[in-house]
Amino acid sequence: MSRQVHEAPYSLRKRLVMAFGLLLILFLGLAGLVLDQAYQEGVEAAVAERLQLHVYALMGVAEPEDEGFFLPDLEEARFSQIDSGLYGFIFNRDGRELWRSPSALNFNLADTGFMPGLPPRGETEYGSLFTAEQGQLALASYGTYWENRDESYSFVVFESSAPTAAQIREFRSNLYLWFGALGVFLSIAQYLLLRWGTFPLIELAEDVSGIEAGERDQLQGSYPKELLTVTRNLNLLIRSERDRQSKYRNTLEDLAHSLKTPLAVLSTALQESAQAQTLSEQQRQEMAEQLERMDQIVSWQLKRAVKSNHNQWLAKPVSVSPLIEKILSALQKVYRDKNINLETRLDEHSVFHGEKSDLMEICGNLLDNAFKYCSSSVMVRVSGKGRSLLIEVNDDGPGIDEGKRHWVLERGARADTAKSGQGIGLAMVVDLVSAYNGEIRITTSSLGGAAVSVRFGKKGADSVSNVA
Amino acid sequence: MRLLVIEDEDLLRARLVKALEDSDYIVDSASDGKTGLFHATEYDYDAAIIDLGLPELDGLSVIRQLRDQGKVFPILILTARDNWADKVEGLDVGADDYVVKPFQIEEIRARLKALLRRAAGFAKPKLEFDGLSLDISARRLLVAGVEVELTAYEYKVLEYLMLHPGKVVSKTELTEHLYDQDHDRDSNVLEVFIRRLRQKLDPDETLKPIDTIRGQGYRFNVPPSA
Repeated sequence: MSRQVHEAPYSLRKRLVMAFGLLLILFLGLAGLVLDQAYQEGVEAAVAERLQLHVYALMGVAEPEDEGFFLPDLEEARFSQIDSGLYGFIFNRDGRELWRSPSALNFNLADTGFMPGLPPRGETEYGSLFTAEQGQLALASYGTYWENRDESYSFVVFESSAPTAAQIREFRSNLYLWFGALGVFLSIAQYLLLRWGTFPLIELAEDVSGIEAGERDQLQGSYPKELLTVTRNLNLLIRSERDRQSKYRNTLEDLAHSLKTPLAVLSTALQESAQAQTLSEQQRQEMAEQLERMDQIVSWQLKRAVKSNHNQWLAKPVSVSPLIEKILSALQKVYRDKNINLETRLDEHSVFHGEKSDLMEICGNLLDNAFKYCSSSVMVRVSGKGRSLLIEVNDDGPGIDEGKRHWVLERGARADTAKSGQGIGLAMVVDLVSAYNGEIRITTSSLGGAAVSVRFGKKGADSVSNVA
Repeated sequence: MRLLVIEDEDLLRARLVKALEDSDYIVDSASDGKTGLFHATEYDYDAAIIDLGLPELDGLSVIRQLRDQGKVFPILILTARDNWADKVEGLDVGADDYVVKPFQIEEIRARLKALLRRAAGFAKPKLEFDGLSLDISARRLLVAGVEVELTAYEYKVLEYLMLHPGKVVSKTELTEHLYDQDHDRDSNVLEVFIRRLRQKLDPDETLKPIDTIRGQGYRFNVPPSA
């Protein structure tokens, strides 16, 4: 079962930003396009309508005269100003020019490439053309029939498109400005909304890493409804896992109790029989050895079973200093007669990520050894930051021979095969330390005796390393 | 010295009691925490041996309640749960030492002696007074450097008095701590022991180590050596 969790290529926020960003661009782009199109069409329709009106106005004042027309009273002043941009013409069926407005005096019709045709009677044809002099021109050509002359004419009005083009340009630049501003505003709003929306998730992640870092032992923040189920279940899981472990531990310890007591009975019985001399010395010794072996095997196997499964993430972080102080005060009581000179340097912020009982076993055994073997001084140092922890126990006793250090540490792996008389204390420590990927070292203390140091959470300490 | 043993395993308790009685202790016993607590509350003991895993009331609670009652006699824990959490907690609530099961009777004897001696304020296994020295491990009395033979009862009386130096010890207290409940408690016998002790400790009658306080009891009056 080594299904691991990997980081997906995009974070939730990135995904949402990308999706919303794309949507925003698409939406604003399309909306801009549609608006631009609609406006242009509107402007063109207005131009067409205006041209139509100009045509009607020309027709309204046109009086036939000889072969041509006379338009005495032009309301639209631009028809009368030269090069005003608004030009009127009347052509006959053959395309011959019968009249042009005064504004079109300089208008070179031939240059425009305009071929005056005759639209069906009563209909208007619209178009546009380009001239070098006038630029873009819009035109409307209206076909009419003069009954009293029995002749068809076409009334044509040209108008320069420069003003409408400017109008459209201005609209466009306004549109870009507003859409740009809208885009910026929406982007900022979207970012803020995302932050606000994903905040509980980030808070959850921080809460969880807080548990990991040992700052708290349960998820504590207030969460929205959608996450509440997750956080509650997570808390439940953490709690039930801890409960399960402590139940398991208690069951095994009860088992230890019920196995150890009969052993104690046997052991005292053996001592009695030795006094009564019902057994030979050899028999007594053999039985005593076997009893001690049984006792060690029971202790060892039970301790190994009780030992937590080192689910370091779920374990409540344990503050190291108070625990060590408690053990020290207990040991000072037991070893009162030795008048031990105790020196401690305990960093009160140091935390152990694991089961309290495991740390208790490690420290209890190390400190008990130091108190037992020292001649008068014991020095304990605890330091650490975050996940790293260093516990050093020094004494001024006989120490451990360099040649034996390896053996002492290696023995930890199979202390159940230890011969009688060898405690399982240090073996248990070695076993526990390696289970937490820690490192244990035995050196010579500055006090002259043994210095045992245990280090946890060292980077790269994935494998067990027992260094002598 | 009167001891209380609280242990629920009958065989183990019986053997422990017998072994301690063989060492001249007066031993009461109980098989559960409640009865044990009752004994310890009602009677005066010099020390108690308490198993942690007890029916009715667990050993830790018994110790806690005894200390809450102001009982100061030393307590030795017996534990089958060989883990530091239990040991430390036991010592923390007021026990003075622990022995892990299975144990050697000799170890229990040695620990008890040390506890009794320490409870009396002596840091070394020898109780040293001016000119007098009682080695409670070897059960030897030296008067001015010369060993003096004592009978078992003389030793018990002297040890009790020396472990309570300067304190007036009533005859009742002495009998209670030195004799079984069903033993003949004739106070004249006690007077005989005291007289014999005075002769053995102080043949020239210069030291006068044991005072008789009329109507109250006896007092060992020699100051301990520094």
